[in-house]
Amino acid sequence: MTDHPLDAPAPSGTPSPEAAARARLVDALVRTGEEDRAAFRDLYALTSAKLFGVCYRICGERQAAEDVLHDVYLTIWRRAGAYDPLRASPITWLATIARNRAIDWQRAQKIRRATPIEDAPPVIDTAPLASESMLQDEASDLLHGCLQGLEARQRDAIRTAFFDGVTYAELAERQSIPLGTMKSWVRRGLAKLKECLEG
Amino acid sequence: MPPPAGVGPEGLEDAPDMTAAELALGVLDGEERAVALRRVLADPDFAREVERWRGHLAPWFDQWPAIAAPDILARVERSLDQAPAAPVASLVTRPRPRSAIWPGVAALSSIAAAALLVVLVTRPLAPMSPPQPAPSVAAPLAPTLVASITPEGKGTPVTAIYDKNAGTIRLTEASLTSADHSAELWVIPADGTPHSLGVLRTQGATALTLRPENRQRIAAGAVLAVTVEPVGGSPSGLPTGPVVAKGVLSPV
Repeated sequence: MTDHPLDAPAPSGTPSPEAAARARLVDALVRTGEEDRAAFRDLYALTSAKLFGVCYRICGERQAAEDVLHDVYLTIWRRAGAYDPLRASPITWLATIARNRAIDWQRAQKIRRATPIEDAPPVIDTAPLASESMLQDEASDLLHGCLQGLEARQRDAIRTAFFDGVTYAELAERQSIPLGTMKSWVRRGLAKLKECLEG
Repeated sequence: MPPPAGVGPEGLEDAPDMTAAELALGVLDGEERAVALRRVLADPDFAREVERWRGHLAPWFDQWPAIAAPDILARVERSLDQAPAAPVASLVTRPRPRSAIWPGVAALSSIAAAALLVVLVTRPLAPMSPPQPAPSVAAPLAPTLVASITPEGKGTPVTAIYDKNAGTIRLTEASLTSADHSAELWVIPADGTPHSLGVLRTQGATALTLRPENRQRIAAGAVLAVTVEPVGGSPSGLPTGPVVAKGVLSPV
């Protein structure tokens, strides 16, 4: 599996604009939680490209991704009051909602997408949201460092599961290998990853 | 507890039990996923492990490529303005295994757990931003409901007081989660569907101003429950962690 255009490092800006972008995002999310429509529009402007990227990749088709994105923002509106800015990264919180909703849709449709997306729209710059804090950078470095210690097939399977939102059954089908073999690869890869991340 | 028997000739029997990571990654389906979700509710250590894995994988979201999004903001806002029973978008909502993980709480209501499935319903959200009430011990003037939210294990019960006039619910200090999780408060009305009321503060009392649709759900006999969730609260809108405390609302 070589469909991983995701390793490209995000363009790094100076810390100050990033911190400002993050503060603006947190502010928009918190005020959305207070049912502030203007803040919600701001939040949409700041995050819709990122969340659409999540929905599109997992859903694999534009119309479905749009419908899921619609549902994602309704969910964000309803759930934003529960967001605690002191304890969670806003983009992780938002992207988790998008990924979960997209996976729900995908599994409900029983879509079997045997090949990676070929007609994906062009990727746009994600710099303002790419790096949220020093801590995020460290966590990111740790994850990527640890992934390098895995066998390529383990790493590819785990990455594909995350970014495409697919199950063991589909991972095995895409690779044309027995289900048990795929499970074994992934489990051993995850165990090694855990050892590296938590060790 | 060993994972469900994995049949596979490729050394799968010797592979370590990585169920928590598999659940966080999302590779499980069917019965394996259902079993893992039940384990989240039954086993706090396992729930914490799943959460730890979500945190491990979170940096990947930073790498996720953005794609120019369609401008559906107007459509979203129309949905927010629509009548109560408007279905969310055109999504097919269908029963999810998640629903099966609420037996303990669902049993408190007379309605079957199936009622939990109808969750993607919008209610009218009247624009309003009431000021956060200052936690106060003064008794409100009018209809008041209270609940003693009792921990499943050891611990001090949390007292919840609902002030109907103000639409606020105040809770005494709760120490129900570790620092790397949030305690989320849910109301479970007679239909058995949990609705989030918000996340409890980690220290001190909590005061929550309820949205109009949640105010309608607060009534004598409704259950208040607290679950352990990822920091910031459940991202899914449904409880994902174990119920650590619960109590029934009754009038003063």
